[in-house]
Amino acid sequence: MRFRRTTKADPLVDDLRRVLPADRVRAASLERSIMGRDASIFEGGQAGPVCFPISTEEVQGCVDAARRHGRAVVPRGAGTGLAGGSVPLDEPVVVVTTKMNRLLSVDVDQRLAWVQPGMINLDLSRAIAPHGLHFAPDPSSQQVCSLGGNVGTNAGGPHCLAHGVTSAHVQAAEVVLMSGEAVVLGDPDGWAPGLDLRGAYVGSEGMMGITTAIAVRLTPNPPAVQTLLLAFDSVDAAAHTVSAVIADGIVPAAIEMMDKNIIWAVENFVGAGFPTDAAAVVIVEVDGLPGGVTAEADRVAELAEERGGRVRRAADDQERALIWKGRKSAFGAIAQIKPNYYLHDTVVPRTRLAEVMNQVYEIVEEHDLQVMNVFHAGDGNLHPLLLYDRREPGVMERVHAAGSAIIEASLAVGGVLSGEHGIGIEKRDFMPLMFSEADLDAQGRLRRAFDPDEMANPGKVLPTGASCADVNALTKVPEGVWG
Amino acid sequence: MIGDKAGAALESFAAEVGSDDAVAVVGGRTHWEVGGSCPEETRLVRAPTGVRGFDPADMTIRVGAATPVTELDAALAEVGQRVNLPVLPGATVGGVLAVGRDDVHALGRGRLRDALLEAVYVADDGGLVTAGGPTVKNVSGFDLCRLLVGSLGTLGLLGEVILRTWPRPATQQWLAGSCDPAELRRRLFWPSSILWNGQSVWVHLEGHESDVEAEAELAQSLGCEPTDGPPPLPDYRVPTGVLEADESSGSYVIQIGTGLAYAAAPCPIPDPDPTVVALHRRLKAEFDPRGRLNPGRDPLAAS
Amino acid sequence: MSARVSLGIDPEELASCVACGLCLPHCPTFRVTGEEWASPRGRISAMRQVQDQGAAIDQAFLSSMDTCVQCRGCEPACPSGVPFGSMMEATQAELTRRRRLDWRRWGFRVLGHRRLLNLLSRLLGVVQRLRLLPSKRLGLPKIPLAQERLRATGSDVWLFTGCVMDAWQRSTHAAVKRVVEAAGAGVALPGAGAACCGALSLHAGLEDHARSLAIRTMRELEGSAPILVDSAGCGAVLKEYGKHLGTPEAVAFSERVLDVHEWLSDRSDRLPSAGERGQDLIVAVHDPCHLRHVQRAHQPVAEVLSHYATVVALDDDGLCCGAGGAYAAMQPDLAVSIRERKLEAIGRSGANIVASANPGCTIHLANAGVAVRHPLEIVDEVLDHDG
Repeated sequence: MRFRRTTKADPLVDDLRRVLPADRVRAASLERSIMGRDASIFEGGQAGPVCFPISTEEVQGCVDAARRHGRAVVPRGAGTGLAGGSVPLDEPVVVVTTKMNRLLSVDVDQRLAWVQPGMINLDLSRAIAPHGLHFAPDPSSQQVCSLGGNVGTNAGGPHCLAHGVTSAHVQAAEVVLMSGEAVVLGDPDGWAPGLDLRGAYVGSEGMMGITTAIAVRLTPNPPAVQTLLLAFDSVDAAAHTVSAVIADGIVPAAIEMMDKNIIWAVENFVGAGFPTDAAAVVIVEVDGLPGGVTAEADRVAELAEERGGRVRRAADDQERALIWKGRKSAFGAIAQIKPNYYLHDTVVPRTRLAEVMNQVYEIVEEHDLQVMNVFHAGDGNLHPLLLYDRREPGVMERVHAAGSAIIEASLAVGGVLSGEHGIGIEKRDFMPLMFSEADLDAQGRLRRAFDPDEMANPGKVLPTGASCADVNALTKVPEGVWG
Repeated sequence: MIGDKAGAALESFAAEVGSDDAVAVVGGRTHWEVGGSCPEETRLVRAPTGVRGFDPADMTIRVGAATPVTELDAALAEVGQRVNLPVLPGATVGGVLAVGRDDVHALGRGRLRDALLEAVYVADDGGLVTAGGPTVKNVSGFDLCRLLVGSLGTLGLLGEVILRTWPRPATQQWLAGSCDPAELRRRLFWPSSILWNGQSVWVHLEGHESDVEAEAELAQSLGCEPTDGPPPLPDYRVPTGVLEADESSGSYVIQIGTGLAYAAAPCPIPDPDPTVVALHRRLKAEFDPRGRLNPGRDPLAAS
Repeated sequence: MSARVSLGIDPEELASCVACGLCLPHCPTFRVTGEEWASPRGRISAMRQVQDQGAAIDQAFLSSMDTCVQCRGCEPACPSGVPFGSMMEATQAELTRRRRLDWRRWGFRVLGHRRLLNLLSRLLGVVQRLRLLPSKRLGLPKIPLAQERLRATGSDVWLFTGCVMDAWQRSTHAAVKRVVEAAGAGVALPGAGAACCGALSLHAGLEDHARSLAIRTMRELEGSAPILVDSAGCGAVLKEYGKHLGTPEAVAFSERVLDVHEWLSDRSDRLPSAGERGQDLIVAVHDPCHLRHVQRAHQPVAEVLSHYATVVALDDDGLCCGAGGAYAAMQPDLAVSIRERKLEAIGRSGANIVASANPGCTIHLANAGVAVRHPLEIVDEVLDHDG
């Protein structure tokens, strides 16, 4: 048996191969089809040629070639997005930044590093660890997600409560616009006159250009850290403790909450010593200088005990690591129960946590599904995980109906659609629930100022786009896309 | 919950802005000429004022854009909180956001631009637009809030905003001396400000009593002594990168770690990248094609 | 051509990947290429295209599959417990059925015949010395022309000796045997029937051949004594006989298999003391994939070594070195790129010697000029000087 090559002749591919070596433009049908999805549940993406540039100039070349052929461009990092932001629609040129993964420079005194967009988030923190510094945003996928992707989604993570999400840690970004021009937005030193183009760009989900270099702010490692594991007999008590901590004027480095189902699953999976009889546990981490850390940890313990909580303090780094291992193993634990999950992401005001969580339980029961909650309670960022087996007939309808109901419940109390995953394809059609037509129009104007012809990652975030063929194509094939 | 949008007040603000002639929004006139001044005949409008909603446990507050910063600060002080805006007598919340200038504490407290969670503004067509959302974390759609901070009201006129609040520190302390600012920054964990005029350094510490005490001791061992406050800041703001190295002391103050310096005389700032200028032009064209919002003001000229 | 092809992968297994991507940084070929087709997630997606959606088996598919080192570093990283190794083995078996003229089909048969292998090895050694062979390019070590004969000293434990390792690195077996004996056990040695565990055949998709080797090996290593293995690749397969053959005998057999370091670390109180010896040795432990990811038994190596030397950890999360059995010979470019990362990690560790409990890794790393020994060779040397 002989094995054929399945690459069709394509003038666009030829053009791209004038810019990049042939082996960095992948065009075989299999190579394109495996780029049809990211870590979201959307599977119906259609990639055109897949390019792996290694420099800004090569990215510009890819963009120029795509433009000459009237083809859209979709940037992609590690492909760990959960909202379908890098799912290609209608065979765009896919520009993958994974080969642009170098740490370009580190200025320890200025606490600034220039990185390429394909560098993995955790690799950066590891590289600068010898200087006593780290990159503060730590999404749960930090061991794999790229910094360019973090910029695209304005990524968060457990430790963004005190120090802010990605936007607060990006001083400047070099961006290739769809015109092919490369431009530095923001100023690596921290300030320059003019509009905050940097701020407008961060979180634009690849719809304004392609990030080719990022100047990131580095955060000093705290001299003292205390981690507490608080166990409660009710979700309400846990949620009220979270509110009480915030109301007391404490802004911990992280406040994470896990409910009964996930505690049980995690204990079965890794044995982190979480109390399986608890209805919810809250992990609180306070860091900084030792005086404040001790005072805040004492106060958190007090507030928890007042609400019936049992308090365990990590005695050393080892115990602290074990507690976090439990938190970070949550996804692994889920696989023991159902093969598939749909991870939601909404934010509610912190004072409404208990109320919305109870609604989530009701919604899930109504739709005959299972849910686990493991989330960033400190900033009200809910992550209900709906568990299902996709092979069960009709289950996807129930999963999506429950998801919609959770979004509506979150918005009803003054919450928002997404805290850190972004809108992508997933929540594009929910945008009108949160924003008026005028609000959405303003966002569209911002996008068009950067990308007048809407060639950067079309079909995402904004539900307008009646003129956009990609969107129409997508709305025609929702069943395939909604894997 | 931090209250609903001030429907009537916002509606009447929008009506006042209208959709035809040139308008400028006036706050406390503390930064009235930053980035250029409006032609005299420009009609002036004023945004709604007052605290519209506040739940201390949420650490977010909704205020009318014309609310004086001092009033907001006083309201928050009662519950031991603050916002990360410069508390300038006379200035309004909308004004300091539109101007977008950090105060001297940006190093430790973070940038002013990150204080804004949601903004309701009046667009060039007189319609109300909401940007962002009320929660402390939000990536729903594009980040118009960051764009509005520092836009001098040229893209939209702020009517009402939701801001993130922070706990007020238990104690604080300024110190000054003649040590190396880079050394200070390396040795101290989280100073909220380090200022340097080429000879002397000022450092601000805040937080838990025992921590401030220990850090102050450390600063003293490096040659600093307690002092009452920061030095007076010269008038002209320039990026540190363009500051002339041979400036004599006293003629400038560098705000360490923020890219910002204050100079006694204007320094020539290099022309921005033409692509950056083009993006400014296109943004203005998208948001205010007729140029009726705060005419005469240019964010790129706002140094 | 468009007729649907089953790769023979269990549909349940194939459906188990949710595409989260957490495996990517743990995949050596993704790490060096950054390309999805060279990642576990991409490979599973490719398998689905073929098995579920009727895509053709083309060059792109082959290249995606054949570049896999089969280190299985993705498995412990996978939150969903996707059995990637078994899916890849099924795929390789199907591909091998289609590549009837492939040299592997015949080449790996030699491994099961000890005399023939020894003869060919000696020939290879001669050719090597005549400089007629690009040894490094082929990933070959310096093959000895003559080897010492190992003698049984009891029946407390079996020492599995295997094929290539016995033919090319018997001195390692000798060192291991001395350390085991120093811990107080008499060592039995298997006859020619247990000439090869079948690992290389299995990874090349030669399932039938692997099965017949397994049956012969089980027959040879009779009784109930623990079966100690000093090659991580062999140990991994011997421990999986139960799964592969599915018979009660095979399950019982696999339960007797231990990596030699596992056995030693349980007897650390009986290990001879090293005294002052070995203190200037700073050993970086390179965890062979099949010890760390498949057997998940890499900790005992450092434990045993720490009695005799200063042990430092590598900071690369146990990423593969690129040896991968015959991989270094089949995919030399990728194998070298993967090894570069490992060399950097070794450089950062400050070690003056590297320990690896797998012959493939030691050969591959030694070819890059690294001072690398089997962990028990290091121990043996320390003990030897002491005694």
